[in-house]
Amino acid sequence: MAKFTTIVAAASALALTLAACGGGDSGGGTTNANPDDGTQLTMWVRSATDQFSQRLVDAYNSSHKNKVALTIIPNDNYLTKVGTAAGSRSLPDILASDVVYTPNYTKQGLFQDLTAEIKALPYYDNIAKSHLDVASYQDKIYAVPHKLDSSVFFWNKDLFRQAGLDPEKPPKNFDEIYEYAKKITALGNGITGFDLAGNCGGCGVYTLFPYAWADGREVLSADGKKVDINNDSFKKIFTLYKRLSDENLVDSSDKTQDGSTWPANFLAGKVGMLPLGSPIVGDLLKQTKFEWGVTALMSPDGSKTSTFIGGDVAGISATSTHKAQAWDFLNWTLEESQQVEIICKNGDLPGRTDLSGNKYTAADPRTKTIADGLKNGKTPFALPFGDLFNNPNGPWVATIRAALYGGEGIDKALADGQAKIQQGLDSAN
Amino acid sequence: MAAPQALKDSLGAVDVARESSAASPRPSRDSAARRPLTGWLFVAPTGIVVAGLFLAPLVILVYMSFTDWPLLGSPVPNGLDNYRSLGDDDLFVGAITFTLVYTAITTVVLFLIAFVLVAISNSARRGVRFYRTAYFLPYVVGVAAASTMWWLDAQDQIGLFNQVLKGLGLIDQPVGFLETPGKALFTVIALVVWKFIGFQVIVLLVGLQSIPHEYYEAAKVDGASTWQRLRYITVPSLKPTLALLTVLSITGSLLAFDQFYVLTHGGPDNSTVTVVLALYNRAFQSFQLGDAAAQAVVLLVVLVVINVIQLRLLRNRES
Amino acid sequence: MTRPLRTALFHGWSAALAIAFLFPLLWALLNSLKTTDEANQQPPTWFPHSLSLDNYRNLTTFDQGIGTYLVNSILVSAITVIGSVVVCVLGGYGFARFTFRGKSLLFGSTLAILMVPYATILLPLYILLSRIGLGNTLLGLALVLVMFQLPFGIFLMRNSFEAIPRELEEAALVDGCSSFGAFRHVSLRIVLPGAVTVALFSFLTSWNEYLAPLIFLNDGSKYTLPVMLVNIRYASYNIIDFGALQAGIVIAMVPCLVVYLLLQRFYVSGLVAGALRG
Repeated sequence: MAKFTTIVAAASALALTLAACGGGDSGGGTTNANPDDGTQLTMWVRSATDQFSQRLVDAYNSSHKNKVALTIIPNDNYLTKVGTAAGSRSLPDILASDVVYTPNYTKQGLFQDLTAEIKALPYYDNIAKSHLDVASYQDKIYAVPHKLDSSVFFWNKDLFRQAGLDPEKPPKNFDEIYEYAKKITALGNGITGFDLAGNCGGCGVYTLFPYAWADGREVLSADGKKVDINNDSFKKIFTLYKRLSDENLVDSSDKTQDGSTWPANFLAGKVGMLPLGSPIVGDLLKQTKFEWGVTALMSPDGSKTSTFIGGDVAGISATSTHKAQAWDFLNWTLEESQQVEIICKNGDLPGRTDLSGNKYTAADPRTKTIADGLKNGKTPFALPFGDLFNNPNGPWVATIRAALYGGEGIDKALADGQAKIQQGLDSAN
Repeated sequence: MAAPQALKDSLGAVDVARESSAASPRPSRDSAARRPLTGWLFVAPTGIVVAGLFLAPLVILVYMSFTDWPLLGSPVPNGLDNYRSLGDDDLFVGAITFTLVYTAITTVVLFLIAFVLVAISNSARRGVRFYRTAYFLPYVVGVAAASTMWWLDAQDQIGLFNQVLKGLGLIDQPVGFLETPGKALFTVIALVVWKFIGFQVIVLLVGLQSIPHEYYEAAKVDGASTWQRLRYITVPSLKPTLALLTVLSITGSLLAFDQFYVLTHGGPDNSTVTVVLALYNRAFQSFQLGDAAAQAVVLLVVLVVINVIQLRLLRNRES
Repeated sequence: MTRPLRTALFHGWSAALAIAFLFPLLWALLNSLKTTDEANQQPPTWFPHSLSLDNYRNLTTFDQGIGTYLVNSILVSAITVIGSVVVCVLGGYGFARFTFRGKSLLFGSTLAILMVPYATILLPLYILLSRIGLGNTLLGLALVLVMFQLPFGIFLMRNSFEAIPRELEEAALVDGCSSFGAFRHVSLRIVLPGAVTVALFSFLTSWNEYLAPLIFLNDGSKYTLPVMLVNIRYASYNIIDFGALQAGIVIAMVPCLVVYLLLQRFYVSGLVAGALRG
């Protein structure tokens, strides 16, 4: 027994030491003349941005003395990884984060303050504002855009043609979406007019919020303290989606689709219309199976459009001792040549508005449509955003499912969801 | 297969917490047993690993459960707050019932199917070796490969299961294997059976084959029927094996996490959230690490108590 | 029922079950050998129209390349297997043959490892490992995996040693061997099946473990195969290369199948000696 007591005592002492030394000093911001001094930097990104980040890192490493080592972490476990590493101060120098989870990190002090550096940039006013907003907490900016993406509406021109629709004219409003979906599904052979992800909160945020924004709803207040989903706009949205699902105009996997295989059916040429994001453009450009078009997500009546500006931001972790060098990398990624020659060249969107007319984006009318749509876009902010909206066990997924598949009607689903989400916001603020 | 001496007295209870070798049925008092220091040397590596990598983290976990533990920075002790708020976590509370139901179903189903497979594997017919290996191979495949495989196979359009059902002409439209709470639970249990039953079968088989043959021969001479032989020889002899498997199955099921995390994420509609999934969620979705630690401590205590009771019951019945 | 009919029925049922158990494994193998296009086709084809190693080739350029992940997996598994066998064999002998203070406490604590919710102990473990300088090392990861092997391994080895008649060792002791000498000469050979079983289980666990490497390692270049597998599954915006995923599954499972089939004989007798004695 004596031995055990000793162990317990030792371990408790250790725990207390840990507790005592977990202070939040904010890394050494060395002000070297030249930050490209051969430092080894580490960077974490989630697997959603793997090749994108790798291209940037490779180009930086081949042109600098500093070397960035990139670690790619499965999307699903990114929070777990960050959560376990932070406690023992093992965070990388550069930490990327899904925009919707960023407030979680800024609030908990995981990033170093970059306000001065960012504001000093000559193109500060042109950096994607929605990203800077979510990366700000109490008037300080903690991160810059890493990868920017935007939700849009894709359609398969070949299937439109087969269904007797004009392949150059996407649906203009909700009525036409329904009508076209019906015609395309009638082609049979496993083809469906539409595809929706009925078990995925993030997908709902990404593709449903813009319908409501376009319809003039704020959905989340700017300070992230009030939610508004119990309204006419969402009733119309869910009425359309419920109809599409009830009448089997969507792929049979809609009820279980958690997002993880959402683009697969469209990419296989089996789906007529799909609201999703710009990141699949790169793959669509490469494939030759079918012709496709892209347009903006519209309000139910089709009068206005909007988009969810998603993606990832990158900041310097609070525990990094290489602030100057890490900033050298972040700064470099924002420069025009990298934005254009690495990011846009591959079909992705620039993180700066002044570059949206670059030669690669402008060359294809489809990428231009996406880039032009950004001006109507938003990125919602709330401290517990991910926990309430993206969490597969959270209240927003429950709302979507109750509205689409529940037996108690859309009105009740929205009222319940409104109450639960508001309660979550209240307890976090 | 060389049957070691162990088989001869394999009828002892699953006495995991045996006090010492002195208390064992064999009354030998050899010289080695009287050298405690040597004994400690042999178990020292075990002791170091257990103390350093299990008990010490456990102490930290307990400490965490009494604090508000931030991601970065200093934890703030908050007394019993985390324990008091245990009941407020709907997900956690709801998960308790589900976990118990899951544990009961899984344990029963695993045994029922295992008995069928054992009956096959214990046959003297030709080809049985192949069957036995086939039933066991999924156990060897490993959790990472197996769960990824099932996630893929359960997909509507590209998955194997729907493809097979369609090929057999049983369905036109894909079955959503994770679509309703019932189907999702069924699919997860099917994965667990497929993946783990091989172990159960082998252990039962080994237990069965270690029952001394003379027992059966004596019974035959006495004119016992097949049923009587099963009732009076097989089942009692297998008791320790059954007990071991029951304990393992119950403990494993109460801690179920991987299979749900990979296949259902607790869905649809939070109908398949297990206790561990709920506390994982609390820790790494909501970053309420102190609360999650409190939940973990409670779960650990409950499991230790359950296991001690199980073992006591089994031991008492034996003596 | 006639005898041949009964035999036919028996084989019908048994074979059907065997196919059900083996088919998913076979399916992964078949799919991995399709061309990338065919592997991603909907609905899937039953048999590859043309055999191709494309999917395997694609893995060589995925993230760090499959080679890196394989080497890491092999290293971690090797350390875990050696560590588990050494600790469990020594510990099993100690528990089976000696009396000392704190014995049942240590034994009970070892078994309690089975009862702790795995995912929750990871955070404290991580803190601890980085404190003692083993954070972000393959060695630290392997030690954690050894720890999780202990309940099963110690239980099995203790029972294996208890099954050996003490007289053998006593004879050795009388002949002038030390305790350790007696242990080495007499017991080790007889408990080989048990030790092989411990080795096999440690290999299966360490080769397949996903969450632990992900949590304990911080460099992409140190990650193991299962992490690669999950990364393929969550690839760039859910555009999954199903062919590469199947190839990854095959590479992850084949070593396990081979090792098991090679060691099958030992494994069964190891269990006999270990798992079944109280």
